Parts: sequence; C-alpha cells; structure tokens
Amino acid sequence: MTARGEPAVWLMGLALTVSLVAIALLVGLVAYEGARTFWPRPIHLVTLADRATDAPGAAFLGLPMKEEAYDPGDEAAAEIEALRQRGALPEGSLDADGRPLRRQYRVGNRELTGVPFRWVPLYEIASVETPPSAVLLERWAWGVWVGTPRALLLQDEIEVPKDQPIVEEEWIEAAGGRSVRVTRREIEGPAGEGMRRVRERRYLAEATPEDPEGWRRVWDAFLASHGVASARLAQIRSLSRYDMGRVNDRINDATIEILRAKQEALKAADGSRRRAGWGLWSVIAVSAFGAVCGAFALGRKARALEFSRPKFVVWPRAAWCVAALLLLAAWTERPWGESVMTPQRLAEVIGEQESMIAGLQREYAEVESRIRELESQDARERVEFVQADGRFAPVSQSSLDEPMRVSQVVRAVKPNGGSTGEAVGVYLARWGEFLSGDPRDANTEGGVFPVIFGTVMMTMLLSIIVVPFGIVAALYLREYARQGAVTSILRIAINNLAGVPSIVFGMFGLAFFCVTVGKYIDRGPEAPIERGGWWWLAAGAAILVAGALVMAVMARPAPGCSPQRRHAMMGWAVSILWVAAAALAVYLVARTPYFDGFFSAKPGPTFGTRGILWASLTLALLTLPVVIVATEEAVAAVPRSMREGSYGCGASKWQTIRRIVLPGAMPGIMTGMILAMARGAGEVAPLMFVGAMKQAPKLPVSLDWPFLHAERSFMHLGFHIYDLGFQAPDSEAARPLVWTTTLLLLAIVVFLNLSAILIRARLRAKNRGSAV
Amino acid sequence: MITEPKNQGASIKRITMPGSVVGGAPPAYRVIDAIRRNEPSTPEVHDTLDREEAVVEMKNFCLWYGSTQALFEISMKISRGKVTALIGPSGCGKSTLLRSVNRLNDLVDGVRVRGGMLLNSDPIYAPHVDVIDLRKRLGMVFQKPNPFPMSIFENVIYPLRVDGERRRGVLKDAAERCLKSAALWDEVKDRLDESALGLSGGQQQRLCIARAIVAEPEVLLLDEPCSALDPIATLRIEELIHEISERYTVLIVTHNMQQAARVSDFTALMYLGRLVEYGRTADIFQNPRLRETEDYVTGRFG
Repeated sequence: MTARGEPAVWLMGLALTVSLVAIALLVGLVAYEGARTFWPRPIHLVTLADRATDAPGAAFLGLPMKEEAYDPGDEAAAEIEALRQRGALPEGSLDADGRPLRRQYRVGNRELTGVPFRWVPLYEIASVETPPSAVLLERWAWGVWVGTPRALLLQDEIEVPKDQPIVEEEWIEAAGGRSVRVTRREIEGPAGEGMRRVRERRYLAEATPEDPEGWRRVWDAFLASHGVASARLAQIRSLSRYDMGRVNDRINDATIEILRAKQEALKAADGSRRRAGWGLWSVIAVSAFGAVCGAFALGRKARALEFSRPKFVVWPRAAWCVAALLLLAAWTERPWGESVMTPQRLAEVIGEQESMIAGLQREYAEVESRIRELESQDARERVEFVQADGRFAPVSQSSLDEPMRVSQVVRAVKPNGGSTGEAVGVYLARWGEFLSGDPRDANTEGGVFPVIFGTVMMTMLLSIIVVPFGIVAALYLREYARQGAVTSILRIAINNLAGVPSIVFGMFGLAFFCVTVGKYIDRGPEAPIERGGWWWLAAGAAILVAGALVMAVMARPAPGCSPQRRHAMMGWAVSILWVAAAALAVYLVARTPYFDGFFSAKPGPTFGTRGILWASLTLALLTLPVVIVATEEAVAAVPRSMREGSYGCGASKWQTIRRIVLPGAMPGIMTGMILAMARGAGEVAPLMFVGAMKQAPKLPVSLDWPFLHAERSFMHLGFHIYDLGFQAPDSEAARPLVWTTTLLLLAIVVFLNLSAILIRARLRAKNRGSAV
Repeated sequence: MITEPKNQGASIKRITMPGSVVGGAPPAYRVIDAIRRNEPSTPEVHDTLDREEAVVEMKNFCLWYGSTQALFEISMKISRGKVTALIGPSGCGKSTLLRSVNRLNDLVDGVRVRGGMLLNSDPIYAPHVDVIDLRKRLGMVFQKPNPFPMSIFENVIYPLRVDGERRRGVLKDAAERCLKSAALWDEVKDRLDESALGLSGGQQQRLCIARAIVAEPEVLLLDEPCSALDPIATLRIEELIHEISERYTVLIVTHNMQQAARVSDFTALMYLGRLVEYGRTADIFQNPRLRETEDYVTGRFG
C-alpha cells in the first residue's frame, strides 16, 4: 500500500476534509447566529415562588434567551434537596445528571432594573405564562422596555372663550372598529391666558363588560398615534440635522472666507506672492509655446518621411499638453487684475460675508423655532407601558414619575399569541432597519447603513488607488527594468512588504499621511526655507535633471548592439542623478516658501486628521504587494509569440504593452485586485489609527460640493464588530448584533469578490475566443 | 481552383550520383566540408541573380547571440517581386537571417551584428534608423499562427492602428481588401467583430498573412508559415503565397523542400550559419552546381 501511495491519498483527503469542515463550521455558525438575531422571541410572565410559604411571589416580564446547567453552591443545593424530599421540586428544573438548570431572561427596562439580563434558577419559578398583552418596545435610547400597555395620554391645545368653565366628561368613541372609552378633561393651559387650554384625552386599559381585555384599546390607539409621532420625530431630526447643519456649515464657510480674505490681504501687501504668480505664469506660457513648436517640428519631420503619424498622434498630444497647462493657469492665481486683495476689496468681501452671516442667522432662528413647536407637540403625547410591578416606562432616568413620549418608541412588538406572518413581518422590518438605518443607543441598536457605506466606499477607493499603482510598478519591473540583482532585491522587498504586520502600516499611515501630509495640505510647510535659497536649490534640481537626460541619451548603446561596460556605468550614473533630482524635488516641495496650505484659514484640521482618504491610502500600501505580484505573473504569462507579432506589425513597446500585453494580462490583474479588495475590506487594526470611527457624524459623500469628502472619518464593519463586542456599554445585549454584523461583513466581502470574479470570467472568455 | 504549382516535378526527379555508395565513406563536399572544418568558404551564387533588381541586399552580414556566432558573412540579394525561399537543415540560421531583416532579433538580449543590410537601399542597421518605422515597411508571418486576442477586424487593421490611422472608412476598406487578398473574406465577412481566436488554425494563419500585408509592406517575411498546419491548410496557404507574390516581394523560410520547389522563384541553401548555394529554384533543384545541394534537395543529406 505504501508503494502505491495510498496512505498519502488518505492523509491528503483527511487534511482536505478537516479544512472543509472548519470552513463550513465557521460560515454555518456565523450564518445561524446572525440570521436568528432578529426573529421575535416570546415574552414570559415569570412568577417566582416565595421560598418561605411556597406561595406565588414576585413576578417579572422577560424574553427567554438560553438555558444551562450550573453549580448552585452548598446552600442552594441543600434547599433543592429539601424541596425534592418534600416533592415540591418543579418538573424539569434538573437536567439528566441531576444538576440544577437556570435560564437567562432579557428583562430590559434598564432605567428601573439596572441590569437588562437576569439568570433565574428553574426551581425558583412558580409559573410561566405568555400573556398576549406583553409588548417589547425598541426605543431610541436606554435599550428595550418589556411591559404591558396601560394608558395613552394625548393632549392638544384648544382655544375657548375666556369665561367657559373647565369641562370634564367621559364618552364612548368608535375607533378602529372597536368602541373606546375616552376620558376628556380640560386643564389650564401653560400660557395662563385663560382662553388657551390643554385638552387631554386618556385611553385607559380597564376591563369592561363588552371588552374584557381592556389593554387592546390602548394598544390600538397607541399604534395609531405612533405612526404620526414617528413621522413628526423624523421631521424634527431632519430639521436639526440637515437644515440646521447646512445653515451652520454656511456660517462657518463665510467666517472662514473672511479669515482667508484677511490672509490674502496680508500677502498681497508683501508683494512676493505677485512675483511668484508672474513666475508660474511665464513657465506655463513658455511650456505651451514649446509644446506647439515641438508638435510643428515633429509634424514636419514626419511628413518628410511620408508617415501618417503627425495628424493622428502628434497634434492631439500637443493639444492635451496645452489643455493641461491652461487648466493649471486657470487654477493659478492671476497676478494681475482684481483677484489681488486690495484694502477696498477686503472691505467689500468682509461686508458681503457679514451680511450673508446675518441672513443665515435669521434662517437659523426660524428653523429653531419650528423645531421647538414640533417638540412641544411631541411632548404632549405620552404612553404608559408598565412592567410586572406596575411601574411605567419613564421619559428619562432622571424623571421617573413622567411617562415616556410616544415618539421614544422605535418599534413595538407584541410577540405572544401572534401569527407566524406577523413574526415574519417583524423579522423583515428589523432587517430593513438594520440595513438601511443609522445606529442608535451607542451603536448597540438600530442599523448599520453608514457602516456598510463606509466599508464599501473605502474598499472602492482603495482598489482605485492600488490597481493603477500596482500595474505600473509591475510593468516597469517586468517589461522595462533590466533583469538582474537590483530587480531581484526589489522583488524580495515587495514580498516582504506583504508580510509586515498590518498595525505597522496603521502607525505609518497615522504618522505620515494624517500628521505629515495632511498637515502640509492644511497649513503648508511648517518651516519653509528662505526664498533666495529655494530658487538656488530649484536651479540645482534643473541642472540635475538636464544632466540625467543628457547622460541617458549617451547611455544607450548603438542600435543593434548589446550594451558595453561603459553603458552600464553610465546607466548607474543616470539612476543616481534621477534619485538625487527626485529627492531634491521632494525637499523643494516640502519646504517651499510659496505655499501655505489650502485650509490655513480654518481653525481645526481638515486633512490633517484621520479620514477615509488616508485609510484608503494606508490600505492601498498594505495591499500593493499583492497586486504587483499578481500583475507581474500575469504579464509574464502573455506568450512571446503575441509580443513578437505585435512588434512585427511595427508597434512600439508601449503600444504592444497597451494593446496586447495588458488586455491579455487583465484576468490575472483582476485576480490581484480581488485579493487586495478582500484583504483591504477585512482589515481592522490599521483603520483604528487612520480613519475608522465609532460614530462618524456624516457620510463621506454628500450633495454638497465637492460631493466626495475624502477628509471625513467613516465607519467600518470590522471596527464596528470590535466596538459592539468589546466597547458597548451593554455587551451582553449587543452580542447578537455582533453575529449579524459579522454575517453582513462576510456577505459584503463575498459580494465584492463575486462581482470582480464575474468580470474576470467575462474577460477570460473574451480572451479565449468563442470556439477552440 | 488549385493553381498549377511552379517548377512542377522539380523535386521528383532523382539523379543518381556516381560516388554515392550506400554504407561507404561519406562523399566529399567542397563547401560544406570547409564549413564543417570552420574554414572560409565561397558560396555558390548563380549569375542568373545578377539580372535581378534587389529589394534587400546583405553584405557580409554577421550576427552573434552573446558569444555564439549565428550568421557568418552572408551576402545575398533578394529580388524584387519574386519569391525567395531559404532552406537548410535545422539550426542553420535561416530563421535568424529572416528575423534580422526586420530586426526582431533586437528583442533578444546580447545580440550583436556586423556588416550591412539594405532595404531598398536604405540601411537597416544604421544608428539613426527608427526600428518602428523599419518594421512598418515589412510584414511578417510566424511559424505558429498568432492572432491577437481581439476581433478579426481589429486583428487585420492592427498595423494601421498602431500607425495612428483612425478613419473608420479607411480601416474598413483596408480590412476588406486584405481579407480578400488572403482568401478569407468570404469565410469571415459576417463575423468580423467576433474573436479571432475562434478561427481554425489555417484560417488564423491566413488572417496573419492578411495582417502582414495590410500596411503594403515592401517585403513579406514568412517564417515556416505552414509547419503548424495540416496538408489541406498548407495547400491553401501555398496558393495564397503564389497569388500575393504577384504584388509583393516574399522571403520565405521553409523546411519542406517540395514547398520551396512549388512556391519560390529563387532558393538559397544555408548550412551552419553560412550561405551554400543560391540561384533560381529550377536550377537549385534540377541543375545544382554543388554536390551537397544535390544531395540535400534529394534527401540524401541533412
């Protein structure tokens, strides 16, 4: 058997089976736990036995979560033994081994109970009922409330003649197909003017002969008013979040505009800015002239060779160059004309902005009064849901004697006695909220839409950044660089980069992108060098570049000849010159005295802090090796016959790469991108340094210019899972949501990968041809 | 519509040589023995070539791959408007010589050349020559069909595309003209936008020929164009070579003696990087001046 290799087959099969089972277990567990979180559980009314008398004692409402055997300790064990000898031990309170069982109940009501979960030994339970009136309330804050409806109080303001006496009456009202007993009384209005009064309608849960279950009236009336109250709350939130936020932002912008104008005025007074502007403009003009002349010269040469390139290649390229330069010119400040900040212009700008601010402040006050009006209406709609001891859900923990507002309830679920259809409805509604809503109650409740959005957007940004970089680097390594010791060292370095722990990238991202680059963008160089010295250094850089260009021409061997030793030496010299020139250029940019940041007028940091752009860049760096290695392999796999065919047709190297090599390598490049995306989407550690937040105030995309706000922080599913599991104020309650969020993260990664794989399959089919 | 092959029967005729004794000592050859001993030798170039006008002219052309010399002092003229075949045993440098004409050997690391080569009296290996422009003046077809992974239409007009031609009408006319010349138009005219990789091997090779002639090359270089094809496809390609030879100068490398006899006007025999005999195909096959040529074309040596 050994000789035929069968033990090896068994071993390999075993290893494969173990791996498959492990993966299936992982996915199965996440899917099971994640999918059942939102299914409504029944609510038990648990009555505990009074140990002294065996009579029913204290009672509470709760949702059964799980059961387990436990070690009761000596005292309780003795008590259980005594109960058993008396024959008073309830059935099923011990497991098969005789160990006592206990059950975990989710009791909610955190304001009153303090602990939202409670373990109850089964032998202490006298009875368990499932009352149909029990309701689970999901609230905006303070977790869930478990109780039964007792009363609904609706007040509205009415105007009555001054001398009308206060009315108090009771009548039967037909509402929702059920007759409701309504108590109405008028009370003195808060204004105290005599003609404004508050009229209160009270729906009370009390058994009547025609309706033995009195709570239903309150429940129906509550459901009817809950829709209205929720819509009103949504309006309040939208007003305070969007309308007020927008006015606030515009006031901020106007303030910054004034500061900026003042800075501009200072600079204009000093005159150096104007000189720099003229310098840049002359550079632009000379380059544009050069591009046009070069195009002419090339065109003439090409025409002399009777060759069709000029019309189609040279002129469009020259046009592109000129267009780019014009764009640069449009962006650069013109050193002549009005844009220079004179004292008169400064006064004008300040006046303009200040009048705008005054208008905005009036607008702000209007929005504020509208919100106040809506809130006072909101405060007049209250509901009483009582727990087993008769205490109702308070409006807040500090005022326990005031019942909560109707609008504080997000969703009311009545699981007992409902049909499966209702349960499915609740389940789907909870999923809907989870996928499309904002998180609430310190992330432990509500939806994860901003989190999904942040994750997907970061992954997209990351692949947009990493793929072009990776392709260009791999093409250079494989197609242009001379294969030798240097390229081998580079490849080893790239592969090692893939093995660096991701937290190191996080540290680097924070130190380099957020602090160094971000700060530079915000405020310009910290210690700019002196102007004269800067120009000398710039001249030095220009000499280095010119020298490198000249030597590069000399370092090329004659056509058809292999390079000699002196060519190799010259090549090294050229590389050293280029590196020196690049280093000098970076130094010149980093210490330029002519730039002082795009946001220097703003008080706080804009790019100089954690944000989605820096997170994407950091993860792009992290995943770059994956893309480079995959692209290199794909490029190397393009057959030699294809390249030779292309060269034989008179294609240049770049044309061959662009038209033959890259399309042929595209499926392999896509594989690299898929791997990079999967790794990037699942990474958490570096994100904690460079941009992921527990709660991001705004999405990184909005309808306001520039639409994509790359400097904003964002929320990420991986970080959200960590936050739910370990940082939530009530991690026991958040645990089911951890599973669901994990399921979602898996689903998103699978979705992203699947779409990339589909695109790759289509590319492959295209490359392979229909037949063969 | 099978056309009459040129020089019919040339290869069938057998000449018994008086000195060839089976099992005896190998016969003595004048040029090849000198080549084997690495001594200078003078190739036998027929004077019938002097009357021809040269498109490509090689003067003492030598080529090294690193330190190995692959071509030795090749001097020959390729006649305008004729089909010239390069024959010889494996490794004799005929493909290298072909690829030297459009400087495809430049892609190999460590290639050096010496001596001259002219294309219509323009130097090929001068320092100022733009290799890209040079290759645009030549068309090449490879041993294995190598259509690009794109549509049939894009394949045919690839040389024009890389030359910067974008006018749709010009491209369409060129594609139709070349596919007709390559006798492929009727088979593919309805599926020009489909992938070229879906064609059969023979169709792919004809597509490659269409691609090679789309830019009106001065010389068409064929590197064993039939060696990867079945006999029927080979026959069609040979007919095609015959047809397009009316308009183009063709330089073809082949292993197949009958093929050389059928399609070419002139034939050059090479051996170990050197030219052995060069003359009209009829002369080479029926009336060679060297005994080694005689033995090679009749299959007794090589």
